Amino acid sequence: MSDLAIDIRNVVKRYDQYAAVSDLSLAVPRGTVYGLLGPNGAGKTTTIRMMLNIIVPDSGSIILLGSPHRQSGITDRIGYLPEERGLYKKMQVRRVLRFLAELKGVKRRDADQRIDDWLRRLDLKNSEKDWGLAKVDELSRGMQQKVQFIGTLVHDPDLVILDEPFSGLDPINAQALKDAIVELKSRGKTVIFSTHVMDTAERLCDSVCIIARGRKVLDGAVAEVRRAHSGRMVALAVEGDARRLVAPVLADRRLISRVDDHNLYYELELAAGADAQEVLRRVVATGAAIQRFELVLPSLHQIFLERVGARGIEPGLTDG
Amino acid sequence: MAKLWVVFRREYLERVRSKWFVLGTVLGPVFFLLVAGAPRLIGARGEGTRDLAHIEVIDATGEGLGARVVTALRDRFPLSRAPYLTVVDETGATVAQDKAVLRVQREEVLGFLVLTPGTLAGDSVRYEGRNANSHNDVDAIRNAVRGQVLVERMEREGIDAQKVEQFSRFPLELHTQRIGDKGREKANQLSAIFLGYAVALLLYMMIVIYGQAIMRSVLEEKATRVAEVVVSSVNTDILLAGKILGVGLVAITQVLSWVVLSIAALTYAAPYLFGDEGRAAAVASAAGTVGAGGSPGLGLLALGIPPIPLWAAVALFLCFVMGFIFYASLFAAVGAMVNSQEDVQQAATPVMLLLVSSVIFMGPIMANPGSAMARTMSMLPTSAPIIMPLRITLVPVPWFEVVGALSGVAAACAASIWLSGRVYRVGLLMYGKKPSIRELVRWIKYAR
Repeated sequence: MSDLAIDIRNVVKRYDQYAAVSDLSLAVPRGTVYGLLGPNGAGKTTTIRMMLNIIVPDSGSIILLGSPHRQSGITDRIGYLPEERGLYKKMQVRRVLRFLAELKGVKRRDADQRIDDWLRRLDLKNSEKDWGLAKVDELSRGMQQKVQFIGTLVHDPDLVILDEPFSGLDPINAQALKDAIVELKSRGKTVIFSTHVMDTAERLCDSVCIIARGRKVLDGAVAEVRRAHSGRMVALAVEGDARRLVAPVLADRRLISRVDDHNLYYELELAAGADAQEVLRRVVATGAAIQRFELVLPSLHQIFLERVGARGIEPGLTDG
Repeated sequence: MAKLWVVFRREYLERVRSKWFVLGTVLGPVFFLLVAGAPRLIGARGEGTRDLAHIEVIDATGEGLGARVVTALRDRFPLSRAPYLTVVDETGATVAQDKAVLRVQREEVLGFLVLTPGTLAGDSVRYEGRNANSHNDVDAIRNAVRGQVLVERMEREGIDAQKVEQFSRFPLELHTQRIGDKGREKANQLSAIFLGYAVALLLYMMIVIYGQAIMRSVLEEKATRVAEVVVSSVNTDILLAGKILGVGLVAITQVLSWVVLSIAALTYAAPYLFGDEGRAAAVASAAGTVGAGGSPGLGLLALGIPPIPLWAAVALFLCFVMGFIFYASLFAAVGAMVNSQEDVQQAATPVMLLLVSSVIFMGPIMANPGSAMARTMSMLPTSAPIIMPLRITLVPVPWFEVVGALSGVAAACAASIWLSGRVYRVGLLMYGKKPSIRELVRWIKYAR
């Protein structure tokens, strides 16, 4: 059995002249939480839909849980939460969930038991009220999100694919979702989710892949990615009136390629070939009173901006 | 297959459980009963303006013909109020008529009849009254007078009055029989027309109502975004098939419920609506329909209409099933193309036009079921599902025409399923504006 939950190789999807996904390869180990990061329109949803056999790639191969993704029965082991969410409004909650479970091949009796457990767990069923008997459109938005979430997990999938799962969630449900993802991982399940909120990914993911304009920009374990980009970021804080003094140094593009002014401190990205020690010497030479000068591990957010946001994506920049 | 069953069951159960379905199922027979009963009720009215004999008979013959006519009218129309007799001599006739006009105006009588020596000679009789335009009424009165003139004349020739009376009292009813290619047929022409009309209209109704139900169902899945979750678990072809089969079975369930409820309603309500005669006819033909076992769908026409042959019932059923699949898949494609309720009616117009085009020709086709137009419309795949059943019930249709029409519809079905399956697959997850024709072609081309 392959130890990869997802093994995508050289997948291409074009719409006329527009390439939604170009030559994308992804390897997601089993039992990990994986983040698929990228700006809007990067091709995240297209990639996910291809995995789920909703869209057929023009070329390339997709292997899920060790089997080709089009093999019958493989989707029964996958739980999917699409970005655009919704349920049958006029249907009873319990019947919607049973329908979704049965579509995944769960027997009716098992489904009822699991639905009951989930409803209790997410407090949709208690001694006072059983929301399972209500129609979907009688539920509040937050409750509908919970129901949707149950629908994704009710068949106890081995691979869970979540497309922008945190968007639109209230803080309580967001917390519940985060807890559930961690719990899934602890039970050996694989979770892959897409997001453009880097903070979430940084806190939750074992590994990430950043894609932009349909191409992979980088991928790997979060810690490694950050380490690979370390030594390039410097945090600098000077006393208030010294900001004026260091301005010429910060403007020197031979030393510093990008400045992110956080008011209390600067975040500097070193230019290619520049040395942090050289920057320090120059700042000292200005006579400014330095409060902090520190080589920092960049956040995913910064890496993302560096590799995607600031310059966009250039040809040949698709390696890790 | 297991997933097809899951999709199918949801579509079926969710619909059958809904209030509207239950309401429609219960109210359907009431509606049909009224539609079926209305012509008879109206017809019954026409046959006896019940007070038909409540007239004044002005007898100026001097031979006592008036008394005979009054008796004859009283016997013939026992439910009506009795006629008055005014005997006058020839000179008094005009005055009597003027007075009678006033009485009719004051609604004391319905009309008046003037018998003159000319009447006895067999020349003419005069009737004036509020119902003088009613052919049925006037015929009934004329027949009564005619009969009595005959009796009077025979008596004059010395034939025994009592015997003449005896001989001349018989209700001669005209029984008609339609003959087709295979000899005598069971239903009479009027019943056949009614049957054909009802069947065609029912097919049309079911296709429109439930075809659009499928369209709305697809649109709902799209609008609520539930479609993506579903298609991640099940292939779109299976989803579409389950939907069409599920909703189709709802339609069949509805018709069958209507049949059962209508037979029950007719059995119990017929006596009140049509008298004992109606009850007997209803029960007899309901029993006949069920007994024949071939055409349960026609039981709702149990009102005096015998069942149609088994092969025709099978052809009707196939017409419905394939016609439904043809139109339902087109409606599903329309539902997948658009994003909102506002757009959907507009986008459905071409499909509706196809359907309606077969219905607007129903009148002329019923008037002349053997015409070239009727034959063409019954062979054209878009109208065959409705027009062929109409023709089958009206006139004998050669078997090869029926088979030809059914094969045509089957081919059209295959084409529309193929086409709609592709539009559905792509359209279901396409949000944004309605596609242009060019984009639609691209969808069809790009679907895997």
